[in-house]
Amino acid sequence: MIRALLFRTYRLSLRLYPPAFRERFGDEMVDFAESRMRDARGTAASMLAVCRIAVDLSASVPREWRNLFRERRAARLLSAANPFAPRSDMDILRQDLRFALRSLARRPAFAIVAALTLALGTGANTAIFSLVNGVLIRPLPYPDPSRVMMVSGTQNGHGAQGVVYADYVDWVQQNRSFAELGVFRPQSVNITGSDHPDRVIGSFVSASFLRVIGAKMTLGRGFTDRETDPRTKAPVAIVSYEAWQSRFGADSSLLGRTLVLNGTPFTVVGITVPNTPAVYGSVDVMLPVGYYPNAHGLDRGTRGVLVVGRLKPGVTVAAAQHDLSAIEDRLAALYPTTNKGTGAEVQPLRDALVGPSDRTQLLILLAAVGVVLLIACANVANLQLARGSSRARELSVRAALGAGRARIARQSLTESVVLSLVGGALGVALAVPLLHWLVSLVGPQLPIDASTIQLDTRVLAFALAVSIATGLLFGLPAAFKASRVSIGDMLRVRAGANSHARTRNILLVVQLALSMTLLASAGLLVRSLIALQRVDPGFDGDDVLTAQFRLPASKYDSPDKITAMFDQTIAAIRSVPGVQAAALVRASPLSGNGEQYPFSIDGQAADTSAGAPSMLINSVTPQYFATMRIPILAGRDVAPSDRAGALPVIVINELAAKQLWHGESPIGKRVQFGEGWWTVIGVAADTRHFTLGEKPLLQGYVPHAQRPQVFTSVVVRTNGDPLRYVNAVRQAIWSVDRDQPVWRFRSMEQDMSAAVTAPKTLMWLASLFAFVALAVAAVGVYGVLSYTISQRTHEIGVRIALGADARRVRAMVVGEGARLIAISLALGAGVAFAAARLMRSQLFGVGTTDAVTLLAAVAVLSGVALLACYLPARRASRVDPMVALRME
Amino acid sequence: MAHDDPRAHLPLTPIVLHILIALGDGERHGYAIAQEIEMEFYGAIRVGPGTMYGSIQRMLGAKLIEEAHPRKRDDADARRRYYRATALGNKVKQLELERLETLLRYANVRRAAHRPGIA
Repeated sequence: MIRALLFRTYRLSLRLYPPAFRERFGDEMVDFAESRMRDARGTAASMLAVCRIAVDLSASVPREWRNLFRERRAARLLSAANPFAPRSDMDILRQDLRFALRSLARRPAFAIVAALTLALGTGANTAIFSLVNGVLIRPLPYPDPSRVMMVSGTQNGHGAQGVVYADYVDWVQQNRSFAELGVFRPQSVNITGSDHPDRVIGSFVSASFLRVIGAKMTLGRGFTDRETDPRTKAPVAIVSYEAWQSRFGADSSLLGRTLVLNGTPFTVVGITVPNTPAVYGSVDVMLPVGYYPNAHGLDRGTRGVLVVGRLKPGVTVAAAQHDLSAIEDRLAALYPTTNKGTGAEVQPLRDALVGPSDRTQLLILLAAVGVVLLIACANVANLQLARGSSRARELSVRAALGAGRARIARQSLTESVVLSLVGGALGVALAVPLLHWLVSLVGPQLPIDASTIQLDTRVLAFALAVSIATGLLFGLPAAFKASRVSIGDMLRVRAGANSHARTRNILLVVQLALSMTLLASAGLLVRSLIALQRVDPGFDGDDVLTAQFRLPASKYDSPDKITAMFDQTIAAIRSVPGVQAAALVRASPLSGNGEQYPFSIDGQAADTSAGAPSMLINSVTPQYFATMRIPILAGRDVAPSDRAGALPVIVINELAAKQLWHGESPIGKRVQFGEGWWTVIGVAADTRHFTLGEKPLLQGYVPHAQRPQVFTSVVVRTNGDPLRYVNAVRQAIWSVDRDQPVWRFRSMEQDMSAAVTAPKTLMWLASLFAFVALAVAAVGVYGVLSYTISQRTHEIGVRIALGADARRVRAMVVGEGARLIAISLALGAGVAFAAARLMRSQLFGVGTTDAVTLLAAVAVLSGVALLACYLPARRASRVDPMVALRME
Repeated sequence: MAHDDPRAHLPLTPIVLHILIALGDGERHGYAIAQEIEMEFYGAIRVGPGTMYGSIQRMLGAKLIEEAHPRKRDDADARRRYYRATALGNKVKQLELERLETLLRYANVRRAAHRPGIA
């Protein structure tokens, strides 16, 4: 892993050599370095080898360039009659470049500090931009990706729902916009028949789906339409290249072999090419959609599948949307009971995959690093200005010798851009490990496959553009000043010393104001996270173990069999020593699962308007509420007597009780969803289900026995660390059915902390950038004040000689800094308000104009900035008047 | 830059001389040359890729070495190229070694002359 990274870095750094050299010897050099690393035995030897190669690199790159220039000069001297007069723009550029390199080499301390500051800024920007590029910009890995659409169902105006298979069939027959529409349904699949039952990630697909995503096979073939059509389905399977490699040892005899999946034998007919994406990440196996195991999965009225489509050439998204909406209207008229209020939504696939929240988070990070770079630019601009002052004499001489203003400005800019390009190159080198770290940090939360994120040509072009832009940006003030040096200045040695003071102060204010904005924004994210972590989820998640399993529909083909299996499983788990309570629930809180249904209430008109509320329906076994310690506020829990055939009952949550019956007791009232009417027997406290930050949902819990489903989760309350019980619980389930895979063993605590991972990462990164910005700005303040004071040593010496005491000198210097800081704070607070408005969607439990956050940011920034003022002030107060006066 | 007069190349830089010596008995690729040099000097001399190929480039330019004709090899790594010394290279190496020997003899005589107790 580390080696691969090192080799990549080495290969990248070969670009530092002259192109002709690199092309001729690049491959051999990589081979050399690889052989060297291979022959180095042990960690110490490897590290030594890495160091030696790095030293060799840094010594030989300048040597090759020097040789190249020497040869070129020799060639020019031979060929050109007059090699001295620049004739073309290229000649001027070459001259400027040479001059810039010489001038930078003469002041290595300045060049190194500036290049490193810029490297930090460009590196961070390049790394974050790589993420943005991978998630938001780079085309998705499908043929002709701009025409691939996600088609979702809508219900009463709520989007992003599944699609009814029967509706999909009608779309295929009636639409005129899509060249192809395909269905898929990712779901875990039990694999049995080998040494131990296991679960693989599967997707139930149509043959047309394979064509939409452009799936190709390494071995064998794809599905035919006949094989995937539910009416003529055939038991065939496609295995992914990765699963073939890892699970089946890349054995080509897998083709034609039989795998027992969800209890049914399937013949493997194809093995995909590597990295075949299946819309939501990759899957291990693909099976015909006709085998989708849910009992009513393909019926009209069940949103069982997901649909992607490829637009015909020239058809717009809006036209396709119009087309499908018209079909949906016809279907609603034809099947009023099932299709009332349903619709279709056509979206480019990327928009469907990358939610607005992902987009906002990435853009917040990009903005934050952009600001860090701006602050770094201001720092380097200030350094340049300070340096420009001391070079006033040199510039005057050049002006006197006939250099025009434009020529001098151009030379000054060339120098800045050279500097920023050096910084940019270092920045790209820095971005490689930085990106590696970022991907390991945020990879699992990204909506796309994290392994596809890398430094590609677009990222390198971005880094180059950023470098040139920063060079121009920080070079402009100095270039402008340089072009205005008058010849007369040459006579006055110290002229121009303070002529830049105003520009410097403006840059300082910009830096501090931007830091203030970042600090305040990061502060808001910190407050959000604290608020989020304080949310009462409505249940007690300590010492609770959860796991998931799915019964094969072929084996458990009747509600009675499912209920019997569930009863025995719970009994077996409860008998494990140390288990206090256990229950089954269709979707445990914060697991990401859960289904919301439209509903109606007895005696009230059904609300089918757009935006009508839906209810989260969960199937539970008795004791679920006790296990999770969710208080029952009225009525009773689901009881063992609530079985199939008995009166269908439902426990609703507090919000539903209050909102739907307007203060009346809901007990005994009836709710309708799906297949029938359910009588309310109890009211439970509200719980958070999908996220901790969500608005409370309307919830209903029905007995598992009255609505048996093959997929379920187990929740177990244990004595002490729940993860110690994983094996015992697994064995308990296997004591009922030895072939039943069980997966996703997690403690409820793990799920709860995972629920705040994304905001936590965002908060940490934003805070990191804010503190880097603060540090860079503080260095800037310190540098500018130190410089000003060194220029004013004479004046301060006179003041002290005339009787000013140290305290007054300190107060004077700090006072000047404080004035700038105060202006910055006011400006920064204004920008911070605007920034907070833009990131409102990421905030929770805190307003965009939060006084506490703002005051904290003011306190931190003014504390650090005043300290940065105080250090030069102290030095000023120690000026020896005699020394200062003698300087003249 | 290429001179047919071998004397025009003298004196050689140490690395160029090392490479010419390492190529004394046939053809080698870059890493093998480095290994040969390191082995001869018990690891006291280390050559990195940049130094090695920088020297190879200049030696190719000066026609001291040439690329060996590609032929089928068992260890055929497509990236590897093999180099061998030219007649000019061998001649230059010979002259440089002679020059060094003269130098060494001269130095020894001087050292003996200045040894305390003898003078």
